[in-house]
Amino acid sequence: MRELRLIAALARVALMNAAQYRASFLVDLVTGAVSTVGIVLPLALVYNHTERIAGWSFHESLLVTGFFLLLQGAVGLAVEPNLSAIVEGVRSGALDYLVLKPVDAQLVASMQRIAPAKIWHLLAGVGVVLWGLSALPSPSLVASLTAVVLFVVGLFATYALWVLVICTSFWFVKVDNLSYLLVAVVDAGRWPVTVYKGWVRLFLTVVIPVAMVTSYPALALLGRLGPWLAVQGVVVAIVLLVISRVAWLLALSRYTSASS
Amino acid sequence: MSGLLIHLRAAPTLLRIGFAEMVAYRAEVAVWILTATLPLVMLALWSAAADGGTLGSFSQDDFVRYFAVILVVRQVTSAWLVWELNYNVRTGALSPMLLRPLNPLWWNLAETVGALPLRIIVLSPILAVLIWWKPQIALLPSAATFFLGCVSVFLAFVLAWLVQAVFGMLAFWYEQSVGLYNLWFVAVALLGGYVIPMDLLPSSIVPLARVLPFHSALGAPVEVWLDATPDPCRTLALQAVWVAVTATAAWFMWGRGLRRYGAVGA
Repeated sequence: MRELRLIAALARVALMNAAQYRASFLVDLVTGAVSTVGIVLPLALVYNHTERIAGWSFHESLLVTGFFLLLQGAVGLAVEPNLSAIVEGVRSGALDYLVLKPVDAQLVASMQRIAPAKIWHLLAGVGVVLWGLSALPSPSLVASLTAVVLFVVGLFATYALWVLVICTSFWFVKVDNLSYLLVAVVDAGRWPVTVYKGWVRLFLTVVIPVAMVTSYPALALLGRLGPWLAVQGVVVAIVLLVISRVAWLLALSRYTSASS
Repeated sequence: MSGLLIHLRAAPTLLRIGFAEMVAYRAEVAVWILTATLPLVMLALWSAAADGGTLGSFSQDDFVRYFAVILVVRQVTSAWLVWELNYNVRTGALSPMLLRPLNPLWWNLAETVGALPLRIIVLSPILAVLIWWKPQIALLPSAATFFLGCVSVFLAFVLAWLVQAVFGMLAFWYEQSVGLYNLWFVAVALLGGYVIPMDLLPSSIVPLARVLPFHSALGAPVEVWLDATPDPCRTLALQAVWVAVTATAAWFMWGRGLRRYGAVGA
């Protein structure tokens, strides 16, 4: 209960902080719209030449791209700003103030900042998913629920990956670039995972499980996701969360502050 | 005229400094280079779409070849001037640089060129993997293609750098100029051949897309290298025209912008 109240309070403060910058909120609307076009249009141009790619029609692929936009939005909204704040805290020693508080440091550290302009990416993602669905038979309730659950589980898995990257900053200090590399790998999730072959596909399903966040929910909406794959997604997420928690505790025990 | 002489005399030293700086931050630079994975992601999609057959005039091997060359050209023609100028203008860090006898843009150009060897070193394992995957994509260009290709890449490098200079200088008037540069880059991606080869664009816009600067900045050198352009000399001429246009714009804006920068008193 105390944790829930804490989460609510943190979210309120983060939102108030972010609401100060109204002009950039609007500028980001334009940038967000353009980057959405930059992601969806190539897909349309490729499908201009062929009906199906790796077993997916255009509208089916749109579902994947929609979930990808949602993922980008969620990560940009709540994950990335916080984790870069932690890296900065480790470098400057500002993390001192955080670990002194009588609450879980990872929880507070993960909820300090929010970038509300990314809400446009989320809206674009919803729009693209609906666009895809408009030309497909409407999914059953169970299928829709599975898709939502898998997507949320996948978000947690992504968060865990980011925490793992951040943990390395306790040793190497300057790792913000590493998170850009992670962004670049996650980029591969914008297409259906069957587009990739061999070990690349395995890598995107298990190691950096971005396929789980984008392709699996889409498959669930299409009614093509076996229960086995759904379970696999949940298991991978739990394993990643546990690993990241252990890594965080280990990393925090190594934290020596900046001056000493 | 002596100003020009000073700049030329300083060039070798600046190049050495630029290279040394890149070596000092080698891990960071390598990570930056590796983040430009989009050509590989697009290659996966196109090659799955071709699925062993052909798409338009492109076979699967053609796609691998095309995006391998795109990857290289994109890397050797990339710069970071727009971010640097924007930051320096916004924060006033430009002021001390203006006190030097050398133009800060010249300094940045030397750094950008100095980064080239490291870019090639980081790229080579990726290329090696691509060639190991599809050995047949490795083609030896003829001497003429090699020469024209080098000239075209050089023109694209200059054009891309000048475009960044122009968008960076917009920061004298408008602080969010980096956002505008992102718009330019989306256009390069879609109309310049970055995510879709020119020949596979809807045929109604191809003639227009070919004369726009986006193609000159990225797609043109790739086509020259792959011997896939109908008239390479015309492509090079067009690139040269765009270089001249952007150079004029940059020269004009630098003068106007500096006056404005001083007027703000930053």
